[in-house]
Amino acid sequence: MATGSEVPRKVSVQLTIKLFAGFQRGRFAIETRAFPGSPTVGEIVDALAIPRPEVGVMMVNGRNVEFDDRPAEGSVLAIFPVIGGG
Amino acid sequence: MTGDRYSRQARFWGIGAEGQARLAAGRVLVVGCGALGSSVIDLLARAGVGHLVVVDRDFVELSNLQRQLLYDEADAAAGTPKAVAAAAAVGRINAGVEVEAVVADVTPTNVEALVARADVVVDGTDNLETRYLLNDACVKAGIPWVYGGAVGSTGMSMTILPGETACFRCLFATPQPAGTMETCESAGVLASIVVTVAAMQWTEAVKLLVGDREHLNHGITAFDVWTNDHLQAEGVPRRPDCPCCGERRFEYLDARVTSRTASLCGRDAVQVSPGRAVRLDLGALARKLAGTGSVTSNDYLLRSVVDGHEMTVFADGRAIIKGTHDLAVARSLYARYVGT
Repeated sequence: MATGSEVPRKVSVQLTIKLFAGFQRGRFAIETRAFPGSPTVGEIVDALAIPRPEVGVMMVNGRNVEFDDRPAEGSVLAIFPVIGGG
Repeated sequence: MTGDRYSRQARFWGIGAEGQARLAAGRVLVVGCGALGSSVIDLLARAGVGHLVVVDRDFVELSNLQRQLLYDEADAAAGTPKAVAAAAAVGRINAGVEVEAVVADVTPTNVEALVARADVVVDGTDNLETRYLLNDACVKAGIPWVYGGAVGSTGMSMTILPGETACFRCLFATPQPAGTMETCESAGVLASIVVTVAAMQWTEAVKLLVGDREHLNHGITAFDVWTNDHLQAEGVPRRPDCPCCGERRFEYLDARVTSRTASLCGRDAVQVSPGRAVRLDLGALARKLAGTGSVTSNDYLLRSVVDGHEMTVFADGRAIIKGTHDLAVARSLYARYVGT
């Protein structure tokens, strides 16, 4: 099999993660890091040890996204809990 | 007539004289007169929105004054119900505004009648259950409402146009696991994020009242005033399987029985409700409780210390018992001293 024609698999994506409210505690407010493979937003949330039921709103580059979306290289992913105070 | 009063606002291209007249004819229901609610009410009154209904179940305390802009030390000292204090403040700000104070819990029993009187509903609540209920009532009646929330230095807002945009349940499909959501007590809250979110809510309400749908915010706006973030997300999808706006099953509205006892979010206090419509004779209750210690009361509520707990009883039969999260303790005190 000719290996030369294969598109090289990307080994990781570089993403900037912004966390809000209580998600910052024990983590960070903003951080740019590489995630192996091409993870879904849900897998990123899991990697950050944020329980999925506690997630309220997630945004990638100005779009509302779901757990199964895959952010592209260089994206900014913002993760909010449900903001219930008022 | 109103002369110069609204000139700067009416001169703005998005409002004009016609828009100002629509504001004067407008009816807004503000549910919750805490931090968000009091800022929105203040701005609505100043803008000359003609008819306001302001609803709250609680009373003013000293710890509110840092961010609840309509209230002052006299309100806190008197323990005035927030809805009453808010309406009084509106009267001082703009005597041309008709304002009605409703001192009550918003429940499946009363929410539809409240919502039906409004052109726009603004969210000033501090909990998710009331928001789901409000969402049910507004979607069912086709009345727009403006969600707002704030905690710490983070806040967000979204405008819900029933049948057009995603509803609150499309966005937050399932209620949060109990106890996981941060509250203003656990995480604190900055006055500046509250005012920021309230300003967004006011602007959306005014756009709706003057009829400018083109410029409504069709997304979620979020801020963190401490870490200097302002995010706007478009593309919030309506969920076809949304029980509320998709299938028109109004589960929160249909839960006609409200819980009789509720731990108040973010407060070391429990609210006990009579579970039916009652009208208490506060004077008679004050005489009954006089033997237990000092009792203070005004037209709206009575306060006494019973078994080391401060108990505030409202004319609608509700009581807020401070110094406990234990529902059984609160129920027992209520049964012993109020006993409706």
